[in-house]
Amino acid sequence: MGPLVLLHLAAAAVVFAAGRHLGRRGLFAVALVAPVATVAWAVTQVGAVLDGATPAERTGWVPSIDVALSFRLDGFALLMALVVAGMGTLVLAWSVAYFGADQPIDRLVRFAGGFVAFAGAMLGLVLADDVWTLFVFWEATSITSFVLIGLDHDQPSARAAAQRALLITAAGGLALMGGLVLISQAAGTTSLAGLAADPPGGTVVTAGLVLVLVGAATKSAQVPFQVWLPGAMAAPTPVSAFLHSATMVKAGVIVVGRFAPVFADLGWWRPVVVGVGALTMVAGGIGALRQHDAKLLLAHGTVSQLGFMVVAFGIGHPDVTAAAVALLVGHALFKAALFLTVGIVDHATGTRDIRRLGGVGRALPGVAALAAIAAGSMAGLPPALGFVAKEAVLDTLLHEDDPWALVAVVAVALGSILTVAYTARLWWGLFGAGPATERAEVHHRPGPVLVLPVALLTGLTLLGGLFAGPLGDRLAVAGEALDPHAHGHLVLWAGVTAPLAISIGIVVAGAVLHLVLRRVGGVPAARVSGEHVFQRGFDGLLDGARRVTAVVQNGSLPAYLAVVWLVVVAGGVGALATGARIGDVGTVVADNALQVAVVAVTIGMTIGVAVARRRFSSVLLLGGVGYGTAVLFMLHGAPDLALTQLLVETMSLVVFLLVLRQLPEGYAAPPEWAPRTVRIGIAVAAGLAVAGLAAVAGTTRSEAPVADEYLARSEPEAGGRNVVNVVLVDFRGIDTLGEITVLAVAAIGVANLVRAARRDLAPDEDEDPLDAPLDDGPSAAASDDPTVAGDRSVIFDVVGRGLFPVLLLVSIYVALRGHNAPGGGFAGGLIAGGAFLMRFLAAGTPRLARARPLPTSALVGTGLLVAAGTGAASLAAGQDFLESTIWKLHPPLLGEVKLVTSTVFDVGVYLLVLGVVLSVLTHLGAGPGLRPVRGGAR
Amino acid sequence: MSRAIPLLVAIPLLGAAVNLLLVRHRAVQRVVAVGCTTAGLGLAVALLVHVEREGTAAVARIGGWGTSIGITYVVDRLAAVMLVVGFATLLVVLVFAVGQRAADEATPYYHPAYLVLSAGVAAAFCAGDLFHLFVAFEVLLMASYVLLTLQGRPGQIRSGTTYVIINTVESMVLLAGVGLVYAATGTLSMADLPEALAALDPGVRTGLHVLLLVAFGLKAAVFPLFFWLPDAYPTAPSPVTAVFAGLLTKIGVYCLVRTQTLLFPGELDGVLLWVAGLTMVVGVLGAIAQADIKRILSFHIVSQIGYMVMGLAIGGPAAIAATVFFVIHQIPIKTSLFLVEGVVEHSEGTGTLDRIGGLARRSGPLALCFALPALSLAGLPPFSGFVGKLGLVSAGMDAGQYAVTGVALVVSILTLVSMTKIWLGAFWGEAREGPSGILGRNRTMAGATIALVAGGLALALAAGPIYRFCDRTADDLTTPDRYAEQVADR
Amino acid sequence: MSLVLIALIAVLVGTGTYLMLHRTITRIILGVALIGNGINLLLVGSGGPAGDAPIIGHGSSPADPVPQALVLTAIVIGFATQAFLLALAWRNWTLDGNDEVEDDISDRRLARREPDVVDPYAGDDADLEEPR
Repeated sequence: MGPLVLLHLAAAAVVFAAGRHLGRRGLFAVALVAPVATVAWAVTQVGAVLDGATPAERTGWVPSIDVALSFRLDGFALLMALVVAGMGTLVLAWSVAYFGADQPIDRLVRFAGGFVAFAGAMLGLVLADDVWTLFVFWEATSITSFVLIGLDHDQPSARAAAQRALLITAAGGLALMGGLVLISQAAGTTSLAGLAADPPGGTVVTAGLVLVLVGAATKSAQVPFQVWLPGAMAAPTPVSAFLHSATMVKAGVIVVGRFAPVFADLGWWRPVVVGVGALTMVAGGIGALRQHDAKLLLAHGTVSQLGFMVVAFGIGHPDVTAAAVALLVGHALFKAALFLTVGIVDHATGTRDIRRLGGVGRALPGVAALAAIAAGSMAGLPPALGFVAKEAVLDTLLHEDDPWALVAVVAVALGSILTVAYTARLWWGLFGAGPATERAEVHHRPGPVLVLPVALLTGLTLLGGLFAGPLGDRLAVAGEALDPHAHGHLVLWAGVTAPLAISIGIVVAGAVLHLVLRRVGGVPAARVSGEHVFQRGFDGLLDGARRVTAVVQNGSLPAYLAVVWLVVVAGGVGALATGARIGDVGTVVADNALQVAVVAVTIGMTIGVAVARRRFSSVLLLGGVGYGTAVLFMLHGAPDLALTQLLVETMSLVVFLLVLRQLPEGYAAPPEWAPRTVRIGIAVAAGLAVAGLAAVAGTTRSEAPVADEYLARSEPEAGGRNVVNVVLVDFRGIDTLGEITVLAVAAIGVANLVRAARRDLAPDEDEDPLDAPLDDGPSAAASDDPTVAGDRSVIFDVVGRGLFPVLLLVSIYVALRGHNAPGGGFAGGLIAGGAFLMRFLAAGTPRLARARPLPTSALVGTGLLVAAGTGAASLAAGQDFLESTIWKLHPPLLGEVKLVTSTVFDVGVYLLVLGVVLSVLTHLGAGPGLRPVRGGAR
Repeated sequence: MSRAIPLLVAIPLLGAAVNLLLVRHRAVQRVVAVGCTTAGLGLAVALLVHVEREGTAAVARIGGWGTSIGITYVVDRLAAVMLVVGFATLLVVLVFAVGQRAADEATPYYHPAYLVLSAGVAAAFCAGDLFHLFVAFEVLLMASYVLLTLQGRPGQIRSGTTYVIINTVESMVLLAGVGLVYAATGTLSMADLPEALAALDPGVRTGLHVLLLVAFGLKAAVFPLFFWLPDAYPTAPSPVTAVFAGLLTKIGVYCLVRTQTLLFPGELDGVLLWVAGLTMVVGVLGAIAQADIKRILSFHIVSQIGYMVMGLAIGGPAAIAATVFFVIHQIPIKTSLFLVEGVVEHSEGTGTLDRIGGLARRSGPLALCFALPALSLAGLPPFSGFVGKLGLVSAGMDAGQYAVTGVALVVSILTLVSMTKIWLGAFWGEAREGPSGILGRNRTMAGATIALVAGGLALALAAGPIYRFCDRTADDLTTPDRYAEQVADR
Repeated sequence: MSLVLIALIAVLVGTGTYLMLHRTITRIILGVALIGNGINLLLVGSGGPAGDAPIIGHGSSPADPVPQALVLTAIVIGFATQAFLLALAWRNWTLDGNDEVEDDISDRRLARREPDVVDPYAGDDADLEEPR
């Protein structure tokens, strides 16, 4: 069975891929292969299945969550397979003639491809035994239906209808999914047969069943989900005939049919299912009476009939179920026949409006006759199958002593009256004596290919009725597949019985209703259409989404930051509230007097940063804070930190000032997003929260820190006395590798942004972007430049030139000694950068760029190469990555010299840092003459 | 084999260094970049195979030091699979970018930055040391800053500023968290931390946990910390957005997984459940509200993160396995959607829905390349998204978490709503005039896109074995001390 | 950790946060820097008691070297971030003539129910095709 499904998909794939080259008939031929093969196969299976065989096959897909593709061919599955494949073959063959030669080929490709793909999905659905197999194909039918409804997607109505159908059925699909999960978990099996064998129970299962029923209701267009089906008539007639009357819309009915025999005895089941079905039956019937488009009339009729089937299958009494099977087959036959008839009329006259049609019967007597038989079957007139089936359903219902069976009988009666009425309306609308004015003309008569399938379907309807007995015996097998106790038998003439009386009453009442309605001019159109309601809801959803998004996504950075901080605060408070033990806080007010002093000064400057009115002063104060921090590090016993902080602070101060030269002096006052008090409140909260964490953490150390181990192993194993540096370049060397990478990339980013700016600001000059940044001549020794006041540059010049070599030497010394004393490649690199900075300042800002000795990106690259290379090298030498080796050299005079590979690493760091500093300085230091694109502040 | 793990980081770094020396030779840069990424992918695959064969994690001791004082790179099942998927994505997107040329011809710094990003990603997955994880984050963040502001356009600068500053805060929170973890426990090795953290005073432990959650939550863009993402991602060049969308947020999720399974097993799950639900809903509502493909997809990143957090919060082997599968599935799916958007933008000049339309008429293959991942994203069968969602939903219902599971189901129909919005807006409707065969015109971009879409389909076909692998991974993650045992000096 | 240090940390973080809640990028950067200092102090302070420099042969009670190493890394990374942020601020100035972070345009449009026209500059890869 799997292979057959695959065959369909393959055929679809071929059609989509090569359809244009196959030509019109060719692609239909390819498409037809699959359903024809299926019919052939199904026919071969009939014998075995009638003898009670149920061949099954199972292919695992995701065993971990027991999802499998498993098929089982019981009587009902075989029946449905025959319906799907048979109908598919007929309708597809019919559409060869229906789509004239004038059709654009790619429309045909999409139709045929989608059609056969759907047929495959539907086949899989009816054969499925595993709930997930069922679900997979269930959703697949929704998707293929979406594509087919939207076949003419340049019409907005088609697009909307397709979307509506997809969303409603897919939503139902998700309900179904949830329900199936619940039920299969409760049952411990995913096999439908297994479920039927020992059904689970409990509230969870009840919830699951409700969800499943919702899914079924959406797919089978039950109230209130029926809104999508009429819209689906936007699809070409073959699609309406096959998907939206004969097969797909039966999926929900099938599920109900599979579940009802097992679960119908749950107290709530019959009220719900019968109630919904009955409602749908009536609503659909009334809807049909309102329509003027023959296709829409049939669509509403389908809704009504689906309600009928839901009642018949859903009530869950064995014999009714058996009768319902006949009902399902009957409907598939006559409804498809009628759709095709409408198609023929449409094809012949160019309209489907029953107000303009009529009288076509004289032009097309044969078609009218066939339609009359099919319509008779729909209206439940003997001797058609529709009559037999309805009789059987009524008869079996009347034999049940169950109040809901009586409710069902009433509902069926009402629904059938409406059915008779709209059937009459349809037939007379199409073929009866038409209107005098603007009668539609028959342009071209239908060929045999158009009529033959209709004749076949109608013939079957008739034969089904005439040979009700034998047919019933065959169909009984299908009924038993759903419910072992189901014993169905069909009779055309059962003598004068209650059902017959009811039927006669129905027909009479229906006829009367029809005549009355003709007199009063029909049922007025609905005041509010289902589509309208759906659209309302959909728009509401979009609007709601927009409102929510406008609130949570307000696009304002300060607001975002406030939220982040509030989350941190809330988390911190929440944590501390859960009873953190405040450790030794409070025992120590200060480590020493100096600390108090420094802290006091630093706090002062911190506040200063916030209140300063001018950028310049706030930045200087920030530098002060940095230096204060450095001193505190020193006091804490961290000379390396202090040194680095000092150097970094200086460097960033310079960078800051370089940028500030460009920016306006004072702060503009842009509209703030929140009042000052709120911001201050958040700030205070954040400060306190972090302080609270600071107070508790570190006071409850759960195990001896690894520090001691570092101190112990640093010198003997890593050959360094300065433990911090050893940690940086050796124990945790790869951290440093990452750290310098960050530096390198930051430098790249800065350079990149500056280049972008220069592209805009000086588009005319075509200098290689990697050259020195734009230099607008000595004239631009900008007076608004705090770092360089022109007259001081002489002194700078002298000092700079003097200091340059000294600083370079110092930097190298610091870099090399780092392993054993405060310093290291990083500090060294910064000092070297400082040396160049001095020269720049000496030379005056405008020539910052010129003074650049070598392409900085190369320097950065080399540094990274050396550093990363050291690690890779040791790996190549058969050691671990970044594993260091110590050589003891004995050069003359110097005595023993320890050479550690990590020193090489440090050299890389040195080079990279130097490169970064130079890059940042030269790029940000350039072009004070630049002016904004969109001039001044706005 | 294990010793070679650091090469995952070193190779891209060396490549970046070389590319910095070759800033003037774009062609060579491309070769180097593609070469390094391919090498990384090869190594990652080899490691995955190795880990599967050995049945235990591969551990590299950087500098030859032990776990306690040195830094170790640990590649267990989770890390291995993330590395493979990650490098594969990086490679495909790089090829796409090379084909598109736009991104890497705008500046000579694209390839260096991209390689550093790869290195950072690799380091983040391998790191067996909390502080090194922080460093890895900084590496990939700084690289992402550069890539996001690559062309220095106004839109990029505006959103880039937001992105950089928010992530700076994230780094500071993470730094504080990591530092305080050391302060409290005296160790940084992820192997020793579980024990050490368990011994802590509950208040302190929760405090540290919260700090880490906030940091990783920001990176993963969960409610209420997601807002930076939909503003920032759409402005970058498509190839950059694609890799950000596919990969970066998932690194946050990866860290959340470690936090919830290794460092603080099962703590604060209740909070995370709420976070998950709100993330799913807010994200998808945002997506519905948008009118631009990139923005719609960006909001979906958020919404889908919610699913992963949900699985994490539900906890237990089944849910964790589903989460892992979901992450594996998300990366290629989301990335390929952004690549398709890139193709559209490359051809139409915009991704705004009311300015395009009828693309299906002009390029069926392109439409297919969008439709398949889109359906997978919406969790429809028979695609990988369905498997992942079914796994999460079953796990959730099994655990009795009906509310959040229901939310997950509702959200996936809303996801479908926004996908149909794109489909109806961009692919159906009146075809704008313009050359047809959009996909075919740039073979490199087409190849990359199709390859990734095919990869997504392969996930569905091979869902069985992959899911079994996820089960084993979940077993590793949910077995206490398994991580420590794997890392313990052998 | 001593109380005064905790006080300083609180002030640094608080002030920093306050500054970050402004729209001027310069102020935001100042805030970042302050908070950075605060957190570095927090790590060093909570990392262990004050002591002698952790250099073999210097003093008997060396301070814990690990937090120092971590903070050293943090300082460098902070420097890198600050430099990049400054470049951003400068680039912003070259575009708008100010250094203020504006709200995201698309978000505002959405909130105001205006059609979202995507910023002509933002990430449109197409126009990069023609050579500059």
